[in-house]
Amino acid sequence: MGFVLDGLDTEAYDRQYSDRELLRRILTYFRPHTWQLILVVLGIVLSSAASSFGTILVARVVDLAAQEPTVLRLMLLSGAVVLLGVAGWFFNYIQQHFSVCVVGDVVLRLRQDVFAATIGHDMSFFDEFASGKIVSRVTSDTESFSDVITLVARLLGQIVMVVILLVWLLAINLWLTLLLVAMAPLAVFIALRFRHIARRVTQNARRVTASINAQIEESISGIHVAKAFRQESALYTTFADNNRLAYRVGLQRGLVLNTIFPVMEITSGFGIALLVYTGGLVVQVGGISPGEWYLFMMAAGYFWWPMLSIASFWSQFQDGLSAAERVFALIDAAPKVHQIASEPVEHLQGKIEFRNLCFKYTDQETVLCDFSLTIWPKETVALVGHTGAGKSSIARLIARFYEFQEGQILVDGRDIRRLDLQQYRRHIGLVPQEPFLFSGTVRENIRYALPDASDEQVLQAARQIGYGDWLDDLPNGLDTDVGERGANLSMGQRQLVALARVLLKNPAIFILDEATASVDPFTEAQIQAGLETIMRDSTAIVIAHRLSTIRHADRIIVLEQGRIIEEGTHEALLARGGHYADLYNTYFRHQSLEYIESIGVIG
Amino acid sequence: MGKSEFRIANAYPYNRSGPLRWIIAHARRYPLFLPGMLVAAIVNNLCYGYTQVLIGKAFDLITGAGWGAAALGSIALSILAVALTQGVTALARNYSVEFLAQRIERDARDELYLSLLGKSQTFHNRQRVGDIMARATNDVHTLNLMFSPGLMLIVDSSMGILMPLLLISRIHMELLLVPCIFLVMLGLTVWDYTRRLAPVTIALRDQFGTLNAGLAEAISGIEVVKANVREHYEWDKFTRNTRRYRDLFVEQGEIQARYWPLLAFAIAWGAGFLHALLIWRNGSITLGQVVAFMGLLGTFHFATYISIFSFNLVQMGIAGARRILELINTETELDENVAGVAQPMRGEVTFENVTFGYNGAPVLKNISFTVRPGETVAIVGQTGSGKTTLTRLINRTFDVQSGRVLVDGIDVRDWNLDALRSQISTIEQDVFLFSRSVAENIAFGCADATPEEIERAARDAQAHDFIMAFKDGYATQVGERGVTLSGGQRQRIAIARAFLTRPRILILDDSTSAIDSATEDQIQRAIRRISRQQTTFLITHRVSQIRWADRILVLRRGELVAQGAHEELLQRSPDYRRIFARYTRERAPQAAELDETGDIGCASTTPLPTTPG
Repeated sequence: MGFVLDGLDTEAYDRQYSDRELLRRILTYFRPHTWQLILVVLGIVLSSAASSFGTILVARVVDLAAQEPTVLRLMLLSGAVVLLGVAGWFFNYIQQHFSVCVVGDVVLRLRQDVFAATIGHDMSFFDEFASGKIVSRVTSDTESFSDVITLVARLLGQIVMVVILLVWLLAINLWLTLLLVAMAPLAVFIALRFRHIARRVTQNARRVTASINAQIEESISGIHVAKAFRQESALYTTFADNNRLAYRVGLQRGLVLNTIFPVMEITSGFGIALLVYTGGLVVQVGGISPGEWYLFMMAAGYFWWPMLSIASFWSQFQDGLSAAERVFALIDAAPKVHQIASEPVEHLQGKIEFRNLCFKYTDQETVLCDFSLTIWPKETVALVGHTGAGKSSIARLIARFYEFQEGQILVDGRDIRRLDLQQYRRHIGLVPQEPFLFSGTVRENIRYALPDASDEQVLQAARQIGYGDWLDDLPNGLDTDVGERGANLSMGQRQLVALARVLLKNPAIFILDEATASVDPFTEAQIQAGLETIMRDSTAIVIAHRLSTIRHADRIIVLEQGRIIEEGTHEALLARGGHYADLYNTYFRHQSLEYIESIGVIG
Repeated sequence: MGKSEFRIANAYPYNRSGPLRWIIAHARRYPLFLPGMLVAAIVNNLCYGYTQVLIGKAFDLITGAGWGAAALGSIALSILAVALTQGVTALARNYSVEFLAQRIERDARDELYLSLLGKSQTFHNRQRVGDIMARATNDVHTLNLMFSPGLMLIVDSSMGILMPLLLISRIHMELLLVPCIFLVMLGLTVWDYTRRLAPVTIALRDQFGTLNAGLAEAISGIEVVKANVREHYEWDKFTRNTRRYRDLFVEQGEIQARYWPLLAFAIAWGAGFLHALLIWRNGSITLGQVVAFMGLLGTFHFATYISIFSFNLVQMGIAGARRILELINTETELDENVAGVAQPMRGEVTFENVTFGYNGAPVLKNISFTVRPGETVAIVGQTGSGKTTLTRLINRTFDVQSGRVLVDGIDVRDWNLDALRSQISTIEQDVFLFSRSVAENIAFGCADATPEEIERAARDAQAHDFIMAFKDGYATQVGERGVTLSGGQRQRIAIARAFLTRPRILILDDSTSAIDSATEDQIQRAIRRISRQQTTFLITHRVSQIRWADRILVLRRGELVAQGAHEELLQRSPDYRRIFARYTRERAPQAAELDETGDIGCASTTPLPTTPG
C-alpha cells in the first residue's frame, strides 16, 4: 500500500521529445518481444478475471444457500472457488515470469546501446557531462525506465478487475453501483491533497538531513584539529542544535506520512456504512438479492486501493518517461569528430603541422585562431603559458579528441581527418595530467596499451625506466594490485606505470600533460629518466610544469591566448627577457638550484 | 564505560553489550510508546475485524423477514463508529511508533557523535571518513526504519492475525481449523521464499555495484581508453557485466513470481468457505456468520504481503545497530596517562632502536637518532618509506612496538598525554579548515586571542596579505558557503595557527601541488621563520627545504639509510645524491659523474651510527 507515497521526489524535467516520439522509441525496444508481451497482457487479464469471478462466485453461492444445496454441490462450488483462486495465482505467475524476461532483455539492450553511444563520443562530450551523470544514465535511468513497465502492468491489472466487477454490478443494480463509483473521486481527491503536503515535508526533511550530515562529515574530517585545540564542546553544541532540528523536521514528515491511511480507513468505513444501509433498503424492496448485497460489500474493498494507486501513478509514470528521455538524449547526441575518410596508417614519422587552424570548444570561446605550427619528427616541443592559453587544446587536437572548425592538421603531410582513427591512435602515446590506472595489476595496466604484448615485453618496458628500480618498491612487483584507480600506488608510482605503458607502445607521437602535484624526489628522478627515454625515440609534445622538462626540450613554444608569441630554446628565450622570462619567474624559478641556494638567505 | 577524551555531564547510560540490548535500552528510555502502540494495534485490528462481524449481522438481518430500517440503520451507525475508532487507534498506533522511531534516531546519532568526539586520534587515523559517515547517516536511519514502519508492521500484522482468530473463535471454535492450517502453511512458504530469495538479491545488488564501478572506471579513464584504442575491450567488459546483471534480475523475478504464500491463501480461501458452509448446513451458525467469517479470513491476505518487507527492515536495523556499536565500543589502546609527566618541553627528541608496523607489516625498522632542541630536521624518502609514521610516534598517535621514543629524555609513554600533545603541533599535507571565519580558524583553540595577536600570527605566517585581499578580511567565511582557499593559503593559515599556539615541537608534513614561485617564496619564508623557534621535523618533497635543514634523515623502506647535513650526504648517500644530481648536472659536471656511479641502490649504504644526543 506504500505506493500512495511513491514518487514524492519527482523533479520537474524539461521535455525534449514529443510524447509520440518518445513512445515510438520505447516501442522499438519492445517490438522483438511482441509474443511475450501478448502473454503478459493475457496473464494480466486472465488473472484479474479469475479473481473477479472468484469473488462473484462466493456471492452467488451465498444466494444459492437459500435453496438447501447438497454437500456435494457445496463441495463442487467451493472447489470452483479454489480453482479460480489457483488460476488467478497461475496467470499472475505467467504474467510476472514473462514481464521480468522482457524487462531484463530491454534494459540489457538499452544499456548496451547507451554504452556504445557513450564510448563512441569524442572528448567534448565528456567535458560536457560529469562522469557521475553518465553512469547514472546508463545504469539507474535505464532501471527506473523499466519500473514504468511494472507500474503499467500493475495498473492494468487493477483496471481490468475494476471494469469486470463494475460491468457485473451495473447489470445487478445501476443506482447502487453509481453510489459505489461516487466514492472513487473522494479517494483520489484525498490522496492528491495529501501527496501535496507530503511532498513539501519530504523536501524539508531531505534538506535538514543533508545539512546535519554535512556537519558530521566536517567534524570527522577535522577531528584532529578539534582535538589538537580541544574544541570538542564547541562542535558538540552546534551538532546538538542541528540534531534537534533534524528530529523536529523528521518527526513532522513522519507524522504527516502516517496520517493518510487512518484517514482513508475512516473514509472507507463511512462508505461501507452507507452501502450497508442503502444496499439493505434495496434488498428490502427486492431490487437485489442478499448475495448481491454481499458482492457490493466485497467490491467496495477492491475499489478503494486501485483509486489510491492511480493518484500516485502519474508522477511515477513521468519519472520513468523522463528517465527514458535522458537515456535517449544520450544515445542521440551526435559525435562532433568527423572523419572524412579512413585511410590506413601503417607507420608514422611523427611530423605534425597545424595550418591556419581555428578551434573552439563552444561557440562563445575561441581557443585557437589562425594557428600554424610545424613539429618535426623526433623533436621535443614544450608548450608553456598561463592557464587557458591553449596548451592542452593543441595536445588533444593532435590526439584527434576534438573537432576543429577551420584550417588543417597534417600528420606526415596527410590530413588528420582522412586517417583511420583507430590505426592512427595506435601510434600515439598519451599520459594525462593525472595518470589513470584501471583496477588490476601493474602488469595489466602496462599491457593496456598493447594487449598482445608478452610478459617479457612488459617487463622490458618497465625496466627501461630507472633500470626497473621502481619495481622493487612495489610489494609484488609487476603483479601488485593497483587498487581502485591506482589507490594502492603513490602518485609518483602511477606516473611510472603510465610511462611504462607508453614505452611498451613505442609510439611515434608522445603527448604528455605533466602532473602538477609534487612527487617525492626519489620517484621524481626515476620519472625524469623514463621521460628522457621516451622523448629520444618519438615526437614529443609536452605541456610542461617541470623545470627539467623545459630545459631538455628542443624547442619551447610560448603561448598566450591561442597564439604563439615566442619560441626557441630555454637559454635563448630567457636571454631575450620577454614573456617567457615572466613565465619562468612565475612557474619555474623556484625549482632551480639558484633558488634553492638563495632560499637560505631569505626570511 | 571505556576511555574517552570528551564527555558531557548528563549523558544517558545505554546498555552497549549487544545490538539488541542496545536497541532495547534506547526504546526503554521512552517506556510508554511501545505499550501504547501495542494497545492501539489491538483495538485497531479488533475494530477492523468487528466491521466484518457487523456486515455479517446486517446480512442476517436483511435475509430475515420483517425487519425495520431502524435496525439496519443502527448497524450502519455501529459500522461508522467502529470505523472511527479504528481510524483513531490507527493514528495513535502510528504516531506513538513514529515518535519513538524519530527519538531513537536522534538519540543514537547524538550518542555516536559524542563517542566519536571522545575517541583518540589513533582511532580516527584508522577509520575512513566515508565509513564513519555511512554509519552516522544510513545506519542511524535504519534504526528509525526498523521501528517505523518495520516493528509497527510486524506488531500490526501479528494483531491482524490474532484478532481475527479471536473473533472467529467467538463465531464457532471449529472455524479456526482452516485459518490455523493456513498460518502454518504461510510460515513454511514465507521461510522457504526468503531462503531462496536472499542469496539472489544479494548477488544482484553486488552485481549492480560491479556494473557501476566498471562503468565509472571506463568513463573516468576515457582518455586512456581512446588513446589506446580499447573501446571494444571496454564494451565487451561492460556487456559481460550487464548481461550477468540481467540474468540475476530474471532469476530474482522468477522467485518473486512464484510467491507460494499467495497460492496458499487462494486455497485457504476456498477451503475455509466450504468448511463454513458445512458448519452452517449443520445449523451451528447463520449464513451471516459465514459472511463475517469470510471477511475475517480475507484480512489474512494483507499479512501474506507485508511480512518479508518488515522482517527485512528489522534485520537491517539490527545490522545497523551492530555497526554503530562497533564504532562506539572500539577501545583506544592509548590512555590519557593523567598521572604522567606534565612539564614545559625543551624539544629534544630521541629514537632508540624503534620498530613499528601496521597489522604485522613492518613500517619502521630499528630506527635510532637524536634531535637537539631547536634543530630543523628534514625527513626524505619515497612515498611509503615510513616518513609520516615516524613523526606520528612522537605525539603517540601510535605507540612503538619495540624500542623507545624519548622527549627531553622521558619516554613518551610516561608523559601526560595532554601535556605531550599540547606542546607538539602537526601541520598536515591537507590542511583542514572549518566552515568558520578566517580569524576563528587561526584562533582555533585559542579562543581568548585578541584580533591583534591573530593578525600578528597571520603576518608572521605570510598570510596577512592574501587575507586582506578578501572583501571581508579576517571575517571571511571559509569552506562550502564561503571562499575556497588554495593549498598554499591553507598551509599558511595553519602556520599562523602554530605561531599563535607556540608548540615546542613542530611537525610539517607537507606535500602540496606545484605552485608559483611567489607563493613558494612566501611559504618558504613562513616555514623558515617558524622552524627557527622550536624543534622542527619537515617531511617534504621540496628540494629547497631539504637543502637548508640542519640535518637530513634519509629513509628507505622503513630503514634509516643515511643522516647528516647536506654536504655530508652528497658525499655518502647515493640515494640522496640521485635527488640532487638533477639540480647539479647543469652546473657541475662532476656531479653528473657521481650520478652514474651512484646508481647501485641503497643496499650498499651502511646506516650511520646515531649521533650522540
